[in-house]
Amino acid sequence: MTITADTGAATAAPMVGFRGVGKTYPKQALPVLEGIDLELREGEVVALIGPSGCGKSTLLNILAGLTDVSTGTVDLARSDLRSAYVFQNPRLLPWRTVLKNVEFALEQIGVPAEERRRRALAALETVHLGEHVDKFPNQLSGGMQQRAALARGIAIEPTLLLLDEPLGALDALTRSYLQEELLRIIAELKTTTLLVTHDIDEAILLADRVVVLSSRPARIREIFEVPFGAARSLDTIIGDPRFGALRHEIRELLRPEVAA
Amino acid sequence: MSVVTSPAPTVGAPAATSAGAPGAPAAAGASTPSAPVRRRGGWKRPARVILSVIVIFAVWAIASTQFPSYILPSPLDVWDQFLSAVGRGVWVEEILATVQHLLAAFGLVIVIGLPLGILIGRSKIAEDLARVPMIFLQTVPTIVLIALALVIMGVSDTAVIGVTVAGSISYFLINVIQGTRSIDPDLTEMSRAYQASEGSIMRSVVLPSVVPYLLAGARITLGVAWQITLFSEYLMGTAGVGFQVNTSIKLLDTAAVFMWGLSIVALTLLVEYGIFRPVERLLTRHVKGRS
Repeated sequence: MTITADTGAATAAPMVGFRGVGKTYPKQALPVLEGIDLELREGEVVALIGPSGCGKSTLLNILAGLTDVSTGTVDLARSDLRSAYVFQNPRLLPWRTVLKNVEFALEQIGVPAEERRRRALAALETVHLGEHVDKFPNQLSGGMQQRAALARGIAIEPTLLLLDEPLGALDALTRSYLQEELLRIIAELKTTTLLVTHDIDEAILLADRVVVLSSRPARIREIFEVPFGAARSLDTIIGDPRFGALRHEIRELLRPEVAA
Repeated sequence: MSVVTSPAPTVGAPAATSAGAPGAPAAAGASTPSAPVRRRGGWKRPARVILSVIVIFAVWAIASTQFPSYILPSPLDVWDQFLSAVGRGVWVEEILATVQHLLAAFGLVIVIGLPLGILIGRSKIAEDLARVPMIFLQTVPTIVLIALALVIMGVSDTAVIGVTVAGSISYFLINVIQGTRSIDPDLTEMSRAYQASEGSIMRSVVLPSVVPYLLAGARITLGVAWQITLFSEYLMGTAGVGFQVNTSIKLLDTAAVFMWGLSIVALTLLVEYGIFRPVERLLTRHVKGRS
């Protein structure tokens, strides 16, 4: 840990603990994950950054229950863990309106129709899609579709938010505005969040801790505490010398991994 | 036939030609020359379609004067046949008999074919087991199915329906299987990530994905089913339009054969524009919904 700072998250209770987690997919010789030890504390935002194909998404898939670990264990502090998953592509059902897409997630956990509608509308309001609730996904821009996907996630009031490069498929301009939105939403919700990203700036902006992973098989290279408090914004941190230093350090740490 | 493809300014000319042809019935083309000559772009194409119908009827009417009615009846003969069949109640009765065969078979094809197609599309075991029966149904001649049905079930509505189901279900299955394979695995994974049950995935992801293929399959199947139903009725001698065609042609009542044929054409168009197109528009709203 190169940069240490006293954050509230450091003292919070652990939510999820990866203990020596490894993952090898069937019919593949090389594991994707190896010896991952990582704790997510309640309410903190952890960014995973690493080269493409290094198995970051696999970590999210394990938490979402989409796949099992091959070795090691995942400890869950609470039995009522409810995870919301936002993927790189919106994955909206094309035959449902935006509202009905958000309601889809609520249907799965048995929320009654009336409450479903209310909560879906509230979530869409949060992501500023309140005026587009009755549109079909193909009537929306890529950024708006991704907002809808985020609304679907937050509508279920998750205890764990899994974001897999949620802004990765968007153009740079849209991405920079949505980063601000994401920062605001995550701060409002105070949900424990695991964010996979390729963007160092995005990781520093959004996360309390940045976990740098090696190329496949992914191991944890280093974990950085981000020194900026909850009131951060791109504008306030970009001039901070610590931002440049942290960014430089992560960049240099990743350089051999990406070149490999 | 340069008539149909020639640009608008010449449209009036062939109408005049057909009107001036020797022995042409007055009703055919001459009385409506002004209708197709609208210059507005939006009207040109429907106008050409209407023109083609007029030309066909005109040629038919002219040609029918050269042949005895049992070879080529005139449009008027066929119309008289229609009025007479309707008047005697035969028309409604026989059309209903055929439509009942058709709908029973079509309903069975959907009820059997939809779950079966989804199963085959999603399970390699089902696919392997179904491969040979499907090839059999696609390749066995309908006439053999009819012969077998006659032996097994005798002359009956059940036999007609059975042959129609057997002969048309593979077209529906192929489309549903394709549709099932077209399902976006990302959507299924998303559903699982949100704790969707298999039943919920079926309702919210699988079935809606299959809908466009289901519609295409239903349309092809219905087209094939019409043919097989009529064919079976003709050969088995059950009630229905097929058998009416059989008896009519034995009596050399060619006008009746024309009448039944055109009735089926009209019904098919009615189903296409009255049912299929509106249902398709309703179920695929989200595709065309761009604003």
